[in-house]
Amino acid sequence: MNKTILGYVPEESPIYRTHPFVRVFFLLVVSLFPMCIAAPEWNFILVILVILLMRYSRIDLATLRFYVPVSMSMGSIILISYILVSGHHPEFIQLASLGPIRIYFERIRDAIVVYLRVLPMIFITVFFLSTSRERDIIVAMRSIRVPFVITYLTAMALRAAGMVMEDFSIVRQAEQARGYDPVGKPIAYKLKQWVMYMVPLFALSLRRADEFSNALVARGYNFTGVLKAPKRADYVLTHYRFHASDAAIIILLSGALVALMVLRYRYGYFTLEGSLTSALLHRWLLR
Amino acid sequence: MAIVEFRDYTWKYSRTKEPALKNINLKVEEGTFVGIIGPNGAGKTTLAYSINGLIPNQYYGVRQGAVYVLDKEVKQYRSDELTKLVGMVFSDPEAQFTAMTVEDELVFGMENLGMGVPEIRERLDWVVPLTKIGPLVEKPPYEVSGGQKARVALAAVLAMTPRIMVLDEPTSMLDPISRITLFEVLGELKHKQSNTIIVVEHSLEHLIPLADRMVLLYNGEIVLDDETEPFFEQMETILEHDAYPPEALRFFYEIGQKGYYQGPLPFTVEEAAQKLEALWQGGE
Repeated sequence: MNKTILGYVPEESPIYRTHPFVRVFFLLVVSLFPMCIAAPEWNFILVILVILLMRYSRIDLATLRFYVPVSMSMGSIILISYILVSGHHPEFIQLASLGPIRIYFERIRDAIVVYLRVLPMIFITVFFLSTSRERDIIVAMRSIRVPFVITYLTAMALRAAGMVMEDFSIVRQAEQARGYDPVGKPIAYKLKQWVMYMVPLFALSLRRADEFSNALVARGYNFTGVLKAPKRADYVLTHYRFHASDAAIIILLSGALVALMVLRYRYGYFTLEGSLTSALLHRWLLR
Repeated sequence: MAIVEFRDYTWKYSRTKEPALKNINLKVEEGTFVGIIGPNGAGKTTLAYSINGLIPNQYYGVRQGAVYVLDKEVKQYRSDELTKLVGMVFSDPEAQFTAMTVEDELVFGMENLGMGVPEIRERLDWVVPLTKIGPLVEKPPYEVSGGQKARVALAAVLAMTPRIMVLDEPTSMLDPISRITLFEVLGELKHKQSNTIIVVEHSLEHLIPLADRMVLLYNGEIVLDDETEPFFEQMETILEHDAYPPEALRFFYEIGQKGYYQGPLPFTVEEAAQKLEALWQGGE
């Protein structure tokens, strides 16, 4: 099994036949698809396609259940926000009123549109993080000749995030070992404790930064000198080959994005006006 | 020729009142294995950092005297020049990991020194089996065990083939088995390579059999500096200055004090067992 950012994927997964850059490209380009699509049913189809892709890549689909609560909370927040604070238009169709709150058909429809735009992006991100390691992100950046300093800073940031989480866990366990139990305590008490976590965490981060800096200097890392020399070997890249199939996927994804934009903005496909979901919702809510 | 030399060297960190090192004079000959011992706060890490230029380049403080590497003052070196000469392994191996996989970690220093891919590959082929980290190269360095981390840290420095290796308490976070494995690797380095190795260490059991020379630091000053055997003949001084020798050595010192043993002190458990057997049979 290959350990990825979000879990484990079998080593023989077909996804590993692709170059890491293709996976990053997929994340960046396919995430734009929902932005070009207003009709929710098409975004829903995109979600299904991504799930099928996950299955093809042999990602354990059971892990998706972790994202169900997040998706539901997000959907609720979007719906409530649209109903409560998004204003109204004189032509909006009022469905009901709850005291001073008026509920409009258009706002519910818009909330569904937004939700089904965000949902594919979440699935695409989960797909990417489930099939990639931190190193893949760096390899992808280096293969398109992003300057070493930037790729290295990215790598250190990814690394530092894990370290901060680890330190946070240690600090929290130390607090709990000394009898701290937030269960049943008021929110103000919990907030105060969270602030208290920050003090040792900050001190640890400073120490980590100091050690990190020493380690970099001790191995010749410097923003001047050899590092600035025009040729710096990139050994990591020697492990990866960019195949014709990778180029084909990139061309296909780019073509799909262009086609989507042309169909949407020139020929009016994927719009809300022609949306089946919108029509069904209209018929159902205004019965 | 002295490859490292401290000449009347004093260093005081800007945040402290007392100097961390006071008037240090120390010469380390090329190819020797030197053990630096002493209690916490004795100045061991400061001494190590002064050799590879972290002090004074990365720390604020006041300096008197100088440290020389190959007869050139440390302060005069460019950082990449000094990195080629002095490799440093820190006490917390995890803190020095800056890459996503063990292999990237090993490669990082070599890339910094401007090496090409064939040379990097050649050095990896040498250093990975030497430090016994073959199965780990694809793993993230912070996910391997403590002993493996220490070996990865050592390998990352070794791959840069520095003439001087400075190890600052490399076993401080290791279990006994990992300590043995690390010192086995250091032993191989000592016997097969011509590196000068300076090890700052509390755990003397495995250090002593390898060390050609020992230095005892106390309160920022060198209290004892001698070849390993004569060094441990001065046990009273060692014990007075809070350095704790291995149990076997200490045991023979104590029974010697009581008049039951005379002769050279054993450095390892195996030597102690032999001497005890000889004593038991009335031979010594």
